[in-house]
Amino acid sequence: MKHILSFTLNGAAVDVLATPTETLLDVLREKLGVTGPKRGCDDGECGACTVLLDGDPARSCLTLALTVAGKEVLTVEGLMQGAALHPLQKAFHEHGAFQCGFCTSGMLMSAKALLDKNPHPSREQIRAYMSGNMCRCGSYEEVIEAIQAVAAGEY
Amino acid sequence: MREVSYFAPAQVGEAVKLLAQYGAKATVLAGGTDLLPKINHYEVKPEVVLYIGGLGLNYVREEDGKLVIGAATTTAKLASDALVAKWASALAEAARLSGSSAIQTAATIGGNVANASPGADLVVPLLALDAQVRLVGAGGGRVLPLKDFFVGPHATVRKPDELITEIHIPKPAGKAVFLKLGRRKAQTLAVVNAAARLVMDGAVCKDVRIVLGSMAPTPLRCAKAEALIKGKALSKALIEQCAAAAVAECSPITDQRASEWYRKNAAAALVARAVAQAAGIES
Repeated sequence: MKHILSFTLNGAAVDVLATPTETLLDVLREKLGVTGPKRGCDDGECGACTVLLDGDPARSCLTLALTVAGKEVLTVEGLMQGAALHPLQKAFHEHGAFQCGFCTSGMLMSAKALLDKNPHPSREQIRAYMSGNMCRCGSYEEVIEAIQAVAAGEY
Repeated sequence: MREVSYFAPAQVGEAVKLLAQYGAKATVLAGGTDLLPKINHYEVKPEVVLYIGGLGLNYVREEDGKLVIGAATTTAKLASDALVAKWASALAEAARLSGSSAIQTAATIGGNVANASPGADLVVPLLALDAQVRLVGAGGGRVLPLKDFFVGPHATVRKPDELITEIHIPKPAGKAVFLKLGRRKAQTLAVVNAAARLVMDGAVCKDVRIVLGSMAPTPLRCAKAEALIKGKALSKALIEQCAAAAVAECSPITDQRASEWYRKNAAAALVARAVAQAAGIES
């Protein structure tokens, strides 16, 4: 049975029809055209589908869509401030913190959650917090540098 | 097309009524970190989804000399909560070592118990802490020792109309330690996990719990190993005998994470280390 699902997506109220077994990732990508979150493993392992749910990082592939009723979802599409890139986006770009870019939207959302909670994390804290986001191109070092640069106020 | 029903009750009573109505047809959803991969890959095809995230079961409090943890409390909260750190630091450590940040904000203690994985990270320290599980069904509630809850891999004594609502931990005596060995440091399932809790009087072990995970069909209290050191002065040799006895009580399998041989050797090392640390002996 389809249900009307209402939640806040990147600051705007949305209503969308969803079935009980559709994930938030399904609804974002297939029904709302929000393709920033990527489908990597559908197991919660890779981190490419990471979004923020009421400010906390969440795997949109492990979140049944109907459970986000009334909550706030932030995807990479909601990171830009007007026409300007978010500081993390600028830093990732300038530090070359990706090659193919498939993991980047999930990386950015996890990094935002980290800096929102802990604006000046240590290198070890960054490594631990970002451990759930895989980058098969191996850009981990640059990801850590980019996050450190934002934490240091360079962006 | 198969119709699936979805319910998100706001009260435990309502959830229990739905469970009584749908029984085994109902799939209980909390954080979803164990269930969703199975739904995504069509290993589980739920007829009725019962989401319990709205029941208000996300709490940690001290009550009648016990630590009471709501079933929907996340591992992120367990890893950072001051009461858990004070009463059950081994549980906090297990929560910290389980999954990544995005998994920890979703995964719940009730889900870890209900899923009944042989290597469930939270269950291993909970058994060492003599935890109890509270179940509520249409006929009322019951509290039973967690050690009597598991019957096999992903199998428990929970009846289809019962909901896990709380985990209780009595005020622990002595010091408890949790250790985990995985294939890598982060976001990994255990090859072996172990917990030990010891009450010491000088060099003498007055009371002890030893638990191994991923070494048997369920996380296992190693009673023979415990009996071997209870009431005795601890020495390095005795701790090693105790570790060997713990491994001898288990029946590990070879799977994609490790071989039986490796598990046995790793488990002996982890038990010896956990016992020594819980006893306050350097190892």
